[in-house]
This record gives sequence, structure tokens and C-alpha cells, in this order.
Amino acid sequence: MEAPLLGVQGLNVDLALQSGRTRPILRDISFELPAKRTLGLIGASGAGKTVLAKALVNWIEQPLHITGGTIAWRGKDLLGDRQGFGRLRGSKIAYVGGNPAGTLDPTQTVGAQIVEKLLSVQPRTSRREAIEKAVDLLAAVRIPSPSQRFHEYPYQYSGGMMQRALIVDALISDPELLVADNVTQPLDVTVAAQILKLMRELTERFATAVVFVSSSLPVVADIADELLVLHEGRIVERQATRRLVSHPIHAYTQALIGELPTIWQGHGPAERPRGQTTEPLLSVSEVSKTYKVRKRDSFAGYNHVQAVRRANFDIFKGDNFGVVGESGCGKSSLMRLLTRLEPPDTGRIVFDGQDLATCGGSALQKLRRRLQLVLQDPFSSLPPRSPIGAIIEEPLRIHGLGGAKERRRQVRDVMGEVGLDATLIDELPAGLSAGQRQRVNVARAMILEPALLIMDETLSSLDQTEQTKLLNLFERLQAQHGFTYLFISHDLAMVRRVCSRIAVMYLGEIVELAANERLFFDPGHPYTKALLSAVPTLEERRYRPEDCLLEGEPPSPIDLPPGCSFASRCPSAFDRCRSQHPGLTARSSHDLAACFLVEPPRVAARETAGA
Amino acid sequence: MFVLSFLARRLLQGFVIIFLVMFLIFTLLRVVPGDPVRLMAGGMAPEALIEQIATQMGLRDPILVQFGRYAAHVVQGDFGQSFVRPADGAATGGAAFNDASRSERAEVLTLVAQTAPRTFQLALTAILMALLISLPLGVAGGLYPGRWPDRLALYLGSIFVSLPNFWLGIVLILLLSVKLAWLPAIGYQGFAWTILPAFVLAIEMAPFMIRTLTVSVAQVMQEYFIAAGPVRGLSRSRVVLRHGLKNASVPLLNLLGVQFSMLLGGVLVVEYIFDYPGLGLLTINAVLQRDFPLIQGIAIITSAAFVLINIAVDLLATTIDPRLDY
Repeated sequence: MEAPLLGVQGLNVDLALQSGRTRPILRDISFELPAKRTLGLIGASGAGKTVLAKALVNWIEQPLHITGGTIAWRGKDLLGDRQGFGRLRGSKIAYVGGNPAGTLDPTQTVGAQIVEKLLSVQPRTSRREAIEKAVDLLAAVRIPSPSQRFHEYPYQYSGGMMQRALIVDALISDPELLVADNVTQPLDVTVAAQILKLMRELTERFATAVVFVSSSLPVVADIADELLVLHEGRIVERQATRRLVSHPIHAYTQALIGELPTIWQGHGPAERPRGQTTEPLLSVSEVSKTYKVRKRDSFAGYNHVQAVRRANFDIFKGDNFGVVGESGCGKSSLMRLLTRLEPPDTGRIVFDGQDLATCGGSALQKLRRRLQLVLQDPFSSLPPRSPIGAIIEEPLRIHGLGGAKERRRQVRDVMGEVGLDATLIDELPAGLSAGQRQRVNVARAMILEPALLIMDETLSSLDQTEQTKLLNLFERLQAQHGFTYLFISHDLAMVRRVCSRIAVMYLGEIVELAANERLFFDPGHPYTKALLSAVPTLEERRYRPEDCLLEGEPPSPIDLPPGCSFASRCPSAFDRCRSQHPGLTARSSHDLAACFLVEPPRVAARETAGA
Repeated sequence: MFVLSFLARRLLQGFVIIFLVMFLIFTLLRVVPGDPVRLMAGGMAPEALIEQIATQMGLRDPILVQFGRYAAHVVQGDFGQSFVRPADGAATGGAAFNDASRSERAEVLTLVAQTAPRTFQLALTAILMALLISLPLGVAGGLYPGRWPDRLALYLGSIFVSLPNFWLGIVLILLLSVKLAWLPAIGYQGFAWTILPAFVLAIEMAPFMIRTLTVSVAQVMQEYFIAAGPVRGLSRSRVVLRHGLKNASVPLLNLLGVQFSMLLGGVLVVEYIFDYPGLGLLTINAVLQRDFPLIQGIAIITSAAFVLINIAVDLLATTIDPRLDY
């Protein structure tokens, strides 16, 4: 019998600790990968996935050590012959990681570096051949105008485009094995879906075997023939993909699948019924913000980046309002406007009956008490040298509330409410996990008893288990304190679970505004459909990416074309979309979408005509 | 197009800076105590005569008027004449008030033009020597952080930084010029006279360059693309030489720009010890003699040099790292 392309036998990797002891990272890893097959590798963060992926490309560095086992290439041991292993790297074994922006030297052009790599591993190629091959492959991964892009620098590429270029960089030497380590993790869902499709096509075309590593089961299931489940450094299960999804054997795999959020099963929260007279807590009308960025190649020119364009929505008390969109869509700019970190250029943001834009000084300070923000990054959002109690207490001190004792008591109460141990009160945040840190952030925001909490990607850095716990916490706090939440997120599954009303943003514009059920089951805007088609999920998809999304990435928010901003990626765009701008059109009394294809309901026709 | 718009913008900014320097120097010089006419005319001159000379020279006009007059001349390239120095280059001194040779005072521009090339030569030699010392030390230190090259760089740097330049200058003169007679030291008659002062300056600058290099090389070596290079199939030496060092060079370049500018502004102590006839020596004497036009001229010309060097450094930096945008 012929030896498999890659054979791993009893691989052990240890981490040397500073105390001189070692901690096992990988234990007794054994698997084989035949040529031309795709093997998926799945596990939670910390399970050792990335270490295993790196071991396959001879990238185990201090303080990690391989302490046992073999890695064989076509039956030949590689660990005993590190030089030979090194020569295989880049030529026969290629690696693409999850850090597209940092993989290439920022001071040299992308094309030059791809050519440099090819010439390094295949010195007999002529420079001209190498350039031709690189340009051809750049075209094959659908990078627009590849011969021009060849001469551009890494910073001129978007994340998705860079990942395409790195796939070219990996495949240009015709490798037999591609190790793809978390390649879609930093990308937006629609871009990630494109990259996955591309990888499937190319590895099939070049007959490359693939080890595909990811922490997202739906993503791996999408591409792999067979799956390995890694849990605490050991392989706990190996099955063909479909079988593993339908009949998981190991308890860990079962839990993993059980924990996956679903989108089209069950019901999302419905909107609270409200009377005609209810005033919104936060009312955003015609809000726009344009940033001026100096033009690089001109004497005194500026580019106008339209970050938020004529946003309109209301949030009512006790609601969970969601704003979703991909990176660069203006979510965070909107957050900056809503929290009055910056005033909008035009429009009104009325909170609790007061216009935030014209509010200043002590009136603004008072308003801020009722409107708090919880940030995305659990690590940089806490001062590292302040005790946790002091961090949580600070808002009280800023607003001059209560005496020292009273404040301390309040801090203890709030810590108990968010599930932080009272003994942490005088500790520094250094030892806290990401989840605990976000609890500190939440405690700090809610200690002022605000009416509205703005959650800017608060949960996106947490794993599934921790997310679920925090969402339950949010629900409990809402029931007890009557908070209103505004969730800003790129995670559709999370929004589906908690938000009753959702705004979808694309290029600074709200393109759809609808209730949860309507948005997920009957979206009115093609971009919403595209987003839904690209969500990684194991469920039966209601929308397929092939039907809903064209190739390409969002155009630049500078010099937006006239007409609909989604027209360049929309499968159902027609002439009118490219010349005329569709405004938000009512589909029913509450749901709106900005598309010419929306048919206003007859009853509401008059209302629409007025809008 | 980038280069042209860059140059246009930066030169315009530069003119503003030079103008501000000119204004500050001019006004401050006239606000501080010390009457130049008293110094020129000598302590024995009668008060009335001093007032007469001062009025003649326009020194009793409002400062703004004086400044306007001066600026108009500078724009035409006329920096005026030294109050003190005679045109024939003879030694300065407190000439008597009725000295007939008043009209033959030296042109500021001529004085600067005589000394600036010397200082330029000294600065360039010093920078090259400093680079020769710090490049190998700094790069090795950055490539092996925590190991002996790093420590060597640190220790040598600490020693260099704690040697006072006047002490080192005198010791080197005693040793190399007086005892061994290998190198000339005092005054200037040719390039050989530049070597010793340049070496003293190089030792003074090297610690900063070593430190900058060590830190920036060590930092770049931590970057993901350095680790990813060998995985992509590049050899380690190629990654270090072609990618690591290039990325680490921008901080050093910025430092070089600042140091070169400072050297051009005149290295007072070293030029004084070696009696090196550069801008530094000229400046010291001009200040001691309240020679307003000369001080102003030197200040404006060196600030112009500052501006030009900075523009050159930034332009060079953008060609190394195209992400930079000044």
C-alpha cells in the first residue's frame, strides 16, 4: 500500500513554562491525509488547533517543543530531518494563516513578494515566467485588474483581497498540501463565503490536499470531506463531515453542535406592542456624518468619507434594537454619534426628549448618565493599573454621586448582579478572562442606572459559551432594571437571538429596517439576503450564496457612485439602480427597505408617497 | 505626482517656520539686556555718541519697523553686515568708537559661507563614523535580544554616553596628537583636522543610534511577516536582510535627520576645544559680542538647513515605507 501524503503518528507538543515545568498542548495526535482530500480540524480556542497546524509546517518555536511522535511526508519522517522539512515548506507544503494584513512586508509590493517567494522555492523559474504566473493567479482569485494590483502595496489591499493574494502566494508553487489556519476568521461573512468558495475551486483545480482549521463548525463543514474534533489537545472524534454533523459520537462534539446558535429555527423576540402615544427613547432622524481625510497625492485636497448617510430610526423603551453590517459599513461611526463622542453634521438625535447634537456642558453630562456604552475589546478598555472596584466606581465619582461608603456598597451590589466575585473588588484586572472583563465593563456602564445601554460588538470577542452566559445576564438585567439595549454587531446569529428590531447598514446607509421575524424570513433588501446567505450555519439555508451575492467587495465610501450603493454586488440590479438612489420604502407599517424592488403594500401606499 | 505635491506643501510649511524663527530671534535679541552699540563703541564712548550711532543704525526704531526692514533685506539675500567683524577676517576685538574702518565690516553671508562648509564636512564625517560604529552593534543587538550582542551593545552604549565630550576631546588630543603625533588637532588646514573632532562627535551620537537600531530591529523581528517568511519558503537570511532591516531603518533615518541638523547648528563645545573654525565657533563669538546681524543670520540659515534636511528625511522615509504620509 502506498504511504499517504501526510501521516501524523502519536504527536505530542509541550509548552515549557517559566517555572521549569511543562504543560501538554497536544497529546497523541494521529491521523493520515491522502492526497487531494480536505480534512477539517475543529475545536474551541485553546484546544491546540493552531499549534497542530503550525506543527505541520515546521513552525513550532520556543517555548513550544515537540516531545514525541512523527510527521511523515509520503512515508518519510520529517521531524528527524528538519532541513528537509524546511525545504518542503513554501514549495510542497503551503500555509495560509488568519492574519492576512500582517503576512507580507508592508514596504514592498504584493506582486514583488509573491514573485520573490516563487523564485526562492523554484530558483530555475525565470523572473518573467514568475511574474506572468503571479498575475494569472491573481486573476484566477478574481482580484480586479490584477496586473495593476500586482504593483500595489499590502496596505492598499482590503482584508479579503489580501487573503486572496495570500492564497495565490501559497498555491503559486503548486503545493501538494495546503494548511489553512483560521483563514476566514478576520473576514466579514460575505467576503469569507467568497474566500471559501474560491479555496474549494482552486484546491480542486490544482488537486491540492487541504488541512482546514477553524473554530467555526459550520465553516469547516462547508469545505471538508472529513472532520477531526480536537478537545484539550486530543483528537476526540473523527468522522466524515455529514455523518459527524448528524451523528456526533463524543459528548464534546455533541455539546459543540448543541451550542451552535440557530437562525431559522425557533422564534426571535417579537416587538413589544406599544400604544400610539409612546415617545421613542432615542429618535434618530436624517443623521449624517462625513469625515474629511487628506488626499495623499494632492497639495491641499480632501477626500470626503461618507460614514453615515441620512440614518433614521426610533428606539422605544425596553426594546432590543440591533444594528448589523460588515466592517466599514458605518456601525461604529453611528455609535460615536449616538454617544455624542462626535456631533453629527446634519440631523437630530433626540434622547429622552433632548437633542444630543445641540446639548453641551453640564446638560450633556447629565444625559450621559442615562446613556452608557459597553465597548468591544475587553483588554484595552480597562485601565490595567486600577483595581476592579475603582474602575466600576469611577462613573459614580465622575457624576459626584454618593459618599465613599455608599459608592463602595453600590459597587459590591453591581458586581454581584453581573456575576463578579466580591473578592475581586481590590484586584487588578490583569488576571481576568475576557468574559469577566466584559462583566466589569457592563458593571461600569450599569452602575449609573442608565436608560439606554449601547453594546458595540460587546460579545464578539467571546466564545459561544461565554456569549450565551452574558446574553442571559443582559436579559435578567433588562427584566430587573428596564434597560433598553442597542446592539451593534456583525453577528447575525446573535442579533437573531436577542433583538426585536433590526437595522441593516451598508456603506453608511440603513438599507433595511425590520422586525426580527420579517428580516430573517422575508428580507426586503438584496443585501440582507446576501448577508443571510453567507452566515455560517449547519441549518438548511433559506438563501444560497450562489443566488444572492455577486463577487466583489463593497466600493469605497469615498466618491460613492450615484444610485444604489449595493448595485455593484447585487444580482438583481437593473439600470435604474445605477442612476437613481432608492430611499427607504415601507413594506408594511413597520418594515422598510431601500430597494426599487420593494412593493409597497396597497394600504400603506399613501403613506409611502408622502415619505 | 506625490513627490511634487509633497515638496510644494512641505516647502511652504518650511517658509512659515523659517519666518517664525526669524521673527523670534530678531525680537528676543532686542529684548534681552546688552546694547550692541556700547560693545562696538567701547566702554569709554560718550552717551550722546552711542545714541547717535544707534539712531544712525536704526536701532532706536520700533522693533517691528526694524524687523520689517531686516526681513525685506533677507528676502533679497542680504543678511546685513556684522556689527563687529572686519571684512578682512582679522581677529575681533573691542575697536575704539572712532575706528575709521567701520564701513568695512564683513558681510554675514560671507562669514557663514566661509565656516558652514567646514561644519558640514565635520557633521558628515561624524555621522558616517557613528554609523560605522552603531550599525553592526545595533543590528546584532536587535537580532539577538537578551543575548551577548544585545548586552555588548548596551554596555558600549552606556560607556559612550557617559564619556564627556570635552574630556574625550582633550584626552584624544593629548594621546593622538601630542604624544603619538598621528593626527593634527587644533585649527583647520585640511581634512585630517576633521578626523579627531568628528570621532569625538561620533562617540557622542553612537549610543542613541545603537539604542534606536536595537529597539527597532528587535521590534520588527517580532512582526508576523518575519516569522511567516520562512514558512512561505524564504530563507531566514533573506527575510532578515531584505525585509527586516528595511523595515527597521525608518526610525534610524529619523534620528539621523535630527542629529545631522543639530550638528549643522554648530557643535559648540567640540569646535571650541579643537579650535575648529566652523559655525559653532562663529556662533559663540557672535553671541559674546552681541553681534545681532551675525546671530540672526546663523539662526535663519541653520533653521533653513533644518527644514531642508527634515524634508529630505521624510521624503526618503516615504520611499522606504510607502505607508508613511507626511
